[in-house]
Amino acid sequence: MTPLQIALIGVLGLIGIGLYGLLITRNLIKVVVALQVLVKGALLALVAAGTASGKINLGQSLAVMVIVVDTVVAVIGLALALQVKRRMGTLDVKELSTLQK
Amino acid sequence: MIQALILLTIGLPWLGGLAIWITTNKHPRAQHTLAVVFAVAAGLAALLMLPYTSATPAIVIPLGGIFGALTFTPDGMSVFLSIIATVVGSLAVIFSVNYMHGDKQLGRYYELVLLFIGAMAGLALTGSLLFLFVFWEITAFCSFALIAFNNDDPKAVAGGIKALIITSLGGMGLLIGALIIYANLGSYQIADFLARAHEMPADVLALVAFGFLIAAAAKSAQFPFQTWLPDAMEAPTPVSALIHAATMVNAGVYLLARFFPAFKDVPGWTTAVMAVGLLSVLLAGIMAVVATDLKRALAYSTVSQLGLMVYAIGAGSVYASQFHLLSHAVFKALLFLGAGTVIHAVGTRDMRQMGGLGSRMPFTRTVFVIGALALAGIPIFNGFWSKELILEAGLEAEGALWAYIAAIIGAALTAMYTLRMVYLVFFGAPRSQLHAHDAQPAMKVSLGILAFGVCTTWLLAGPLYQLLTSTLPFHQFREVTTLDMISTVLTDLATYLALLVVFVGGLCWWKRDALSSITKRLQGLARMATNSFGFEAINRGIVRVTQNTAETLRLTQTGLLSWNVAGIAIGLIVVLVILAWGK
Repeated sequence: MTPLQIALIGVLGLIGIGLYGLLITRNLIKVVVALQVLVKGALLALVAAGTASGKINLGQSLAVMVIVVDTVVAVIGLALALQVKRRMGTLDVKELSTLQK
Repeated sequence: MIQALILLTIGLPWLGGLAIWITTNKHPRAQHTLAVVFAVAAGLAALLMLPYTSATPAIVIPLGGIFGALTFTPDGMSVFLSIIATVVGSLAVIFSVNYMHGDKQLGRYYELVLLFIGAMAGLALTGSLLFLFVFWEITAFCSFALIAFNNDDPKAVAGGIKALIITSLGGMGLLIGALIIYANLGSYQIADFLARAHEMPADVLALVAFGFLIAAAAKSAQFPFQTWLPDAMEAPTPVSALIHAATMVNAGVYLLARFFPAFKDVPGWTTAVMAVGLLSVLLAGIMAVVATDLKRALAYSTVSQLGLMVYAIGAGSVYASQFHLLSHAVFKALLFLGAGTVIHAVGTRDMRQMGGLGSRMPFTRTVFVIGALALAGIPIFNGFWSKELILEAGLEAEGALWAYIAAIIGAALTAMYTLRMVYLVFFGAPRSQLHAHDAQPAMKVSLGILAFGVCTTWLLAGPLYQLLTSTLPFHQFREVTTLDMISTVLTDLATYLALLVVFVGGLCWWKRDALSSITKRLQGLARMATNSFGFEAINRGIVRVTQNTAETLRLTQTGLLSWNVAGIAIGLIVVLVILAWGK
């Protein structure tokens, strides 16, 4: 098995876990965590693709940038979750939804 | 130069809307000022386009792929319609300064009105069928949002939704037609289509022709879609004057007039156009005679006058239809704004409660009567000349005497309901204790300018012909000068026949007591007319089916995060499978 294939299995695994987490969880904090796992999968894919195409610098620098952006997203997501908990008294996304009948 | 003017005509109202949004509702004075400044500036930009008309696109923005190119062609018909949109638009905005005074949601109102004015100018000026559709739908959205402006009122919301569904249904006809044209000719350009329409297979061209007819009928509230317009009267009155009388409803007539050279040889098309127009003239005319709501009566008369324009196109006279479009935009805007003044003053739209208001609102009465005389087709006012031109064109169309007779009956009905309306509102004894005051200053400015227009726009018959004929290579116009028009109309026997019919129509209302034995027998007809001859049911059916479908599809929009994620994941898998398949 080549390193690229191993990396891609890792990518699929991380994205799969992230999606599964998003699908089953109803807790807003867990949603943020699942989203993080999902994005880590994409990160790994970036690095792997950079290595495979020979543009190792490009892949890794993009990955560093995504890490920064992703951290900001996580921080804002958690801060919003905190506010939601304070104002609505719940973190259950099913109860928070106003679109359903 | 012309490029800048085109962009200003479309862009200034939109910029104004943005500026008003930034101003926020805390500064109503600034909002009024901004709206008037931007609307009037757009009107001036449109007027300045007049010397620069040309048949070739002035702006070409290639978008690539199946989107073709976004083009703007300032030819005669486009410039003409965009002038009507922006000038009548700015007058309606000026009128709103008094009419909407003190409204809590002024920002939303002005934003939508200005968005509409820009989109309407864009609809007129674009030379690309695809973007004609885009602007077409923007105007439909503005119309919906402004009809439902008082969104606490379920009637207003229902009226808005009905207008949106019916006009969007028509829009489908336009979109499908545009796509068929693209599939056959590889271009969305209107000029290309007009030049190469004969290259398309005859049955495909017929499909496009009737698709466009459906689009036009839905937009212009023609038979069998005529019932959305009366329900649209829940909108603030300046909006009714602007969108539902002077501009947006003309888009259908514009569409038919624009594509007439391509479709005129499609078998049965001109007859169908004439039939649609005349059925609208007659049915709406009868409904206007029994309407008790002032604005609904005006809405029916709009349907009937638009029917007359559609009929003129069917009879082969695009010029007469455009000339009547000009007259109608001016006098109907005047009538609606006059009605708005009355409604603003007395607080009701029910004509049965009005009466005798003339002595307390002398200015409004004067301008309203001027507008009403033009609507009825009394000489000197602009409605008379354009209506005579249409009737003359109808008489000349081969083998269509039935259509001419129907149009004449329509003219008589017009005179009858106009006289009834004026009498019920302004004359006779007051029927209830209503507080009334005359028009306020900004209202007077709009009404005065429009009343002046009603008395004078018919002098533009010659210039309008020059404007249209010089830049529309595919349409054939017979030469018209203002003097020519005056002499032919005055010497033609048909004119006096029409005047006689108008007089008889008026007399029928005047002597209604003496004719009571006949009117009693017509009670059934009146009851049918109040119920829109059953077409209300068809339109309501369309609306209900659409809403039920939407409500069923609503099940897929759960608003639950996990379902949305599942949807995304399934979509991803589908894309991957398609990609794998492609290899």
